[in-house]
Formats: sequence, structure tokens, C-alpha cells
Amino acid sequence: MASVSEMYDVGWEEMRDKLRKWREDNYRNSEQIVDVGEELISEHSSKLGDDIWIIYEQVMIAALDCSRDDLALTCLQELRKQFPDSHRVKRLSGMRLEALERYDEANKHYDAILQDDPTNTAARKRKISILKAQGKSAEAIRELNEYLEQFVGDQEAWHELSELYINEHDYGKAAFCLEELMMTNPHNHLYCEQYAEVKYTQGGLENLELSRKYFAQALRLNNRNMRALFGLYMSASHISASPKVSAKVKKDNMKYAAWAATQINRAYKVIAVFLHFLISS
Amino acid sequence: GYVDWVLFLSSGHHGRGGAVLSGVCEDVPALLSVSTVQHQRAAVVVQPDRWRCVRDRLRAAASLPPAPGSHHSAGPHTGSAQVDVWCSQTQQRIVGYYQANACVSDSSPTPCALKIADKISEQFDNAVLLMLDGSKMSPDYRVPPIVMYERKDSRWMLKDKHTIMLRQWEETRAIATQLLESGDHTLLVDFDSHLDDITKDWTNQKLNTKIAELTSPANGSM
Repeated sequence: MASVSEMYDVGWEEMRDKLRKWREDNYRNSEQIVDVGEELISEHSSKLGDDIWIIYEQVMIAALDCSRDDLALTCLQELRKQFPDSHRVKRLSGMRLEALERYDEANKHYDAILQDDPTNTAARKRKISILKAQGKSAEAIRELNEYLEQFVGDQEAWHELSELYINEHDYGKAAFCLEELMMTNPHNHLYCEQYAEVKYTQGGLENLELSRKYFAQALRLNNRNMRALFGLYMSASHISASPKVSAKVKKDNMKYAAWAATQINRAYKVIAVFLHFLISS
Repeated sequence: GYVDWVLFLSSGHHGRGGAVLSGVCEDVPALLSVSTVQHQRAAVVVQPDRWRCVRDRLRAAASLPPAPGSHHSAGPHTGSAQVDVWCSQTQQRIVGYYQANACVSDSSPTPCALKIADKISEQFDNAVLLMLDGSKMSPDYRVPPIVMYERKDSRWMLKDKHTIMLRQWEETRAIATQLLESGDHTLLVDFDSHLDDITKDWTNQKLNTKIAELTSPANGSM
């Protein structure tokens, strides 16, 4: 089978740079990372210098995603040799055990880390992930709430909590989490859009109006957010169709819906033209 | 009796679902699902009797009244609006819903799945609800990794396995395996990905063409 470097005509430096870009942008394209990373490690490890350790970590996690325990173990063993007492590596050992569904052993690893260092947030989050994987959502939610009391600025955690609440259909609490996120990240269009979606789901006139407002806000922050555009159309349509609204509110919302529909049609016309040229060329 | 259906495309990631379509078909299978369920990949392809491959342009569905939401309120309902328009243009119908849960060991229908299936059954009497069985989603699966529910007395009940027949399962499985090996499963676009980037074709013409090539008699494999 052709190597990555043969198939794409790239040298080892480009492969290394690609891995770095994926690291920095937090991509989870695990199959690609495994393909590129495995080749880089086996053919060019001597050239990578100190970069090799972070590459081992990156490839190991990607290997777990792809059920490549052989590769994961190889990377892990190199890291263990180099950093025998490291908590960071211990956490990776734990993650491998999680992938193998050996949750009790994984928890022991994390507990050991926390005994040494009670402020280790990574280990705490892994323990919560285990609860989630085991389907223990109530406990996961409880633990995550406790975590957030201590680490109130952890956005990733707030977002994870909002998702857990959504899975439990506890939309009120999910909305609260998203409100926290919007407060600290007022320019993030995704939080606005997700908040709007939760409000839409809760239903009822008041929530629909809030939903429409936040879809509109998301669009102001990013006028290419299609979900927000569709959401604006749907929430405004729904409000205007409600028998409980005044004539003015009905008229206003029909206008908003019509505007959104026009924008949607416009976006798709562009695509249709683009596709037409693509297909006919 | 038969459930004569063609299953719709939905790409990886946990907890995704898709619409089940049926229609006038001609010898071209449609990909049911390529799902990266807990790091395992599998694809189930169903080959219906006849499938008409049509080229089509997307038209924004602005006419369907919105419905009060389940969690992915703006999602599937937007999706179903678009899919409805496409269906009417290509003479197909939405006849069911399938879903793969994020948790591999749990294939029971979520409240969201039940709600969506309810909505579909309002429009189509024999609607089916398919849950993907995560434990059977592996490259060497011998049986279709699906659990089928049908609506009886306004509840979704497990359908008797012996009344379910899938046509050309072995060929379908072979095609799916080939697509996974060639990496073509990465071409799959579901409606969610489409909303992220509307240049992505949720009708998956490219992939359907590849599937058509794999099933053509000239290929020798069928």
C-alpha cells in the first residue's frame, strides 16, 4: 500500500507541519492523524527532535479513536520510558484503559493522579467522561456541577454540562449553562445559536420570541450561520402563526420570516449556479 | 411482507439519524449509514428493486409549517422540509427514521427518535423506526445491525424478526465493505454537515454514483 508521502507527494517536514496544524486547531480527524503520524514516527523519528513527544501523544489519542491499540500502546510505551513519573502520561494510560472499557482500572489511574495533585483538572474530567460512557448521566451531571463550582471559568465544562442536560431533556438548566457561556463569550455566534435552539425546544410564546431574538443575534455575529437563518425563519413563522399574538406582532414576525426565506433562497441559488457550472464543465 | 425501502445517507458522529425513503428505484443501492460508532466503522447498504437516479438542484423549502421542537428542533425539521421538497421532485417519500446512539451498548429508541418517528407516521401509515445495534457494527458483521420498530396502538413496538426481509443483503454488505476500504465513506454528507457548509450535497450524488458503479453488472461482482 502506498505511503502517505508517496500518495500526496509530501516530505516529512510537511507531514510534521500538518500534524502541528491539526494540533493547534484541535481537529479530531483521527484517521488522517494515524496515517500521517504512524508514517512519520516509523520513518522519520530521528529528525523530529523534541517534537516527537507531543506527536506521540497526538497519534496515541488518534489511534484510540481508530481502535488501533497496537499503535496506541507503542506511543504510550515511548512516552512512559521518557517521562516515567508524569501525570500527563498517566492520564494517557487511563485513556487507553477507557478505550478498552476497563473503567475500574482507568479510575484507579485518575484517583492516583488526584491523590498526588488534587487540582488536576484533566483527571477529574476523565472521571466524568467515564461516568458518561457508562450511561451514568445523573452522576456525571452531579460531578460536573461540583467541578464547575471550583473551576467556574472552564468553558469546555460548561458546554459539556449543557449537552448533558439536553440529553436529559432538562432544557431549563441547559439554557442556564449556555447563558453563562454567552456572558463570558458575547461574540460567539454558536453559543447564541445553541441557546436559541434550546429556547425553541422549550416552546411557548415567550421562549419562541427569545429564540427568534437569539437566532437574529447569532446572525448578526455571523451572517453565514445557516442554522441560525433557518432557526430565525422557523421561530418567526411559528410566532406569526400563533393565535395568541397581536396583529402587529403577527405582521412583524411574518416580515422576519419572509426576510429569512429570501436569504435562504439566495444562498441556495448561489449554490445551484455554482453546481450547474461544476456539473456542466 | 416486504418493507420496500431505501435508506438515506447519514454521516459519522455519534447519535445521528436519518430519514428512510422509498420510491421508484432501479438497481442502485443507497447507503444506509456509515457511522463511526465508538471508533468502529460499518456501513449498511440496502439495495432496493428499482431506483431512479436523478440529478437535482436544491430548492429551499420555505413552505412547510414549522413544528414545536424536540432537541434538534431546527435540525431535523429543517431537514425534513428540504427532504420533503426533494422527495416530491424525485417521487420519493419519507417512510421512516433511523438512529445510531452514541452509547454502543444501548440501542433503545430515545424520546427524540420516538417523536420524530411519530411525526413521520402521521404522514405515512407503515412508517418504520430503525435503531442501529452498536454491538453488531463491525467489519465482519453477519447480520444487519438494525433493530426495527413498528407502530402498533400508538406505541412503537419491536417488529417480529421473521416478518422482516432485506433484499440482497450479501451484495449490499460487500459494497459497503468496499466503500469502507476505499475510504469513500468519507464522502458521506448528512444534513447536519450540510448546514455547516451548504455547498455540501446532502443528496450524496457522488457517493450514489460510486455505489451505482459497484453494482453494475459490468463490474462482474453482482
